[in-house]
Amino acid sequence: MPELRRDPVVGYWTIISTERSRRPVEFSAADIKEERPCPFCEGKEDETGGEVTAIREPGTLPNSPGWLVRAILSKLPILSLDQGSNRTGRGIYDLMEGVGTHELIIESPKHKHDLDELGVSEIEKVIQVYTHRLNALEKDPRFKYALLFKNHGLISGSASDVIRHTRSQLIATPITPKRVKEELQAAQSYFERRERCVFCDVLRREREEGSRIVAENDAFLAFCPFASRSPFEVWILPKKHCADFGKLAPEYFPAFAFVLKECLLRIKTLLNDPPFNFIFHTAPFRHKKKAVYWKTIEEDYHWYLQISPRLTHDAGFEWGTGIHINPTPPEDAAHLLKETEIPKESF
Amino acid sequence: MAQLRKDPITSRWIIVNTENPKRPDEFQVEPHTQSTKVCPFCPGNEAMTPPEILVHGRRSGAKNTSSWLVRVVPNKFPALRIEESTEKAGIGIYEKVGGFGAHEVIIENPDHNKQLADLPLDHVELVFKAFRDRCLDLRKDPRFKYILIFKNYGSSAGASLEHPHSQLIGLPIVPSRVLGEIRGSTSYHEASDRCIYCDIISQERSEKKLTVFENDEFVSLCPFASRFPFENCILPKNHQSSFDAVEDRSLHALAQALKATLVKIKKVLKDPAFNFMIHTIPMYSKEFETYHWHVEIIPQLTRVAGFELGTGFYVNPTPPEMAAEALRCVTIPGL
Repeated sequence: MPELRRDPVVGYWTIISTERSRRPVEFSAADIKEERPCPFCEGKEDETGGEVTAIREPGTLPNSPGWLVRAILSKLPILSLDQGSNRTGRGIYDLMEGVGTHELIIESPKHKHDLDELGVSEIEKVIQVYTHRLNALEKDPRFKYALLFKNHGLISGSASDVIRHTRSQLIATPITPKRVKEELQAAQSYFERRERCVFCDVLRREREEGSRIVAENDAFLAFCPFASRSPFEVWILPKKHCADFGKLAPEYFPAFAFVLKECLLRIKTLLNDPPFNFIFHTAPFRHKKKAVYWKTIEEDYHWYLQISPRLTHDAGFEWGTGIHINPTPPEDAAHLLKETEIPKESF
Repeated sequence: MAQLRKDPITSRWIIVNTENPKRPDEFQVEPHTQSTKVCPFCPGNEAMTPPEILVHGRRSGAKNTSSWLVRVVPNKFPALRIEESTEKAGIGIYEKVGGFGAHEVIIENPDHNKQLADLPLDHVELVFKAFRDRCLDLRKDPRFKYILIFKNYGSSAGASLEHPHSQLIGLPIVPSRVLGEIRGSTSYHEASDRCIYCDIISQERSEKKLTVFENDEFVSLCPFASRFPFENCILPKNHQSSFDAVEDRSLHALAQALKATLVKIKKVLKDPAFNFMIHTIPMYSKEFETYHWHVEIIPQLTRVAGFELGTGFYVNPTPPEMAAEALRCVTIPGL
């Protein structure tokens, strides 16, 4: 029986369409061939954009071997630093120069394809670089937001450009993007009505119901959201309220690394290494002079990681309405992910 | 160098690559595959679909037989169903609605291999007449709040069957993307007392940078803040809020604008996968003066990745002016 479900935060609707239900085996993995020598491996430092930061062996120099996690500037930046941020108009149209920055975080010096192949302590170092870069970019007054995300196994452009070395991307933007703003405003309006954080309420509800939980430890809960837009979508939320991922205390790195690795492994094992995106939803940069808008943000917003396997193609209906049709009910998805046997020796 | 542009309706920013733009021949287009399965939409296989709802051009024969030009049937695997309830329920902080709705398939023509762009104008007109007539019929049921007509062509645009067809989904709610357009155009109207879409058309009339095709009644253009390369929008030149208000005498001009645009896209981009959607005012909406219906066409040339999903901030490698020029230059004999 199909059902429309509403996301409690932003309010988007999803159609959970059991009629067209697809079991995991019906999704086929993309066949990705690597056709280009990898520039991200240790020893190839001069082939990449300049190093921004790195966790290194003592005594080694930037842009040389001896690193464990390395943040570099993208050679094909979507937005770059050498631009102004002038705004102009053309009749009814508005334009702005594209100032920003685009970094890649290389998650291992070895040619590993996936983050889940790293050990928990190695993933902790990746998280350390993620938070370090977010905090550093926040200091630049030209930026309003930075999106930290990963594209895994998505083929775009020609096949000869495919490099599978595990990495994430960080893009700082001169505006707060619309989708981010919508989520912030929705969380703010929920807080105004109830004086509670909507995400804390979601956490409470998910733990009461239990049917959508995928993984859990002392500090984090991973579950398939009630109105999941894509089949097997997973959110990881910190149990302790915190608006800003950049402010995650190092004592939580091990628990986060563990739950992240577990979720990625479960998705990979169950769905045969599907393409996926992960996206950090976190508070925008809060520069002192614009304090009014963000009055309650520390209390009303709650950071989380969204992992979205890319198993369906968006088509005319999704483009026209913004409503996604999800063929796998989140309760079934969570159950299947939880029951998946993952190799114990990975941890 | 990148340029940021703001969509005047939804206030969504996009990034255009103006320094090193991607030209039409640089996009890789997925080849279209031929299935060997029996096609349920071909003439003679009418029994493979649920019974027809509407047919145009049947000269003789009984219902569900093989002489037709355009045929509308219920979707065999519907996302929503007319038998379901519209009942709302809350579970703690969560809300849900029963899966009531309509999901229909408009089979555009009997020929399995003839795409919309290849059909004679009169036939394209019949397809649009079927779209409009289905909207008018469903409008009678007060449970519908919105009707979307759309087409997926090619597997990377989400099409699962090759036989040329479009789809209609009737919804018990007004979708968020539509509400966003209504909000944006209403706030513009409040400030200026004008329709923003009419202003886009009038600014384009003097600038002529974005136009792809026009006739007396419709204009086809690449929007200033296009999210996707070669994105296109077809608008009625005279203000009209609802697609189902299109009169018979305007259907021919609409068919011509759509066909011309599709032929140009097919030629310039080597038959890419694409989606089109008809954006129209929701049922019972009173924003007649502020909203303006239009057809949106999106060739599927790039894949949406993490940055776009996370921010709603799209990166378009081809400036819309360049896309419009490439499309405008294609001449079509007889159109």
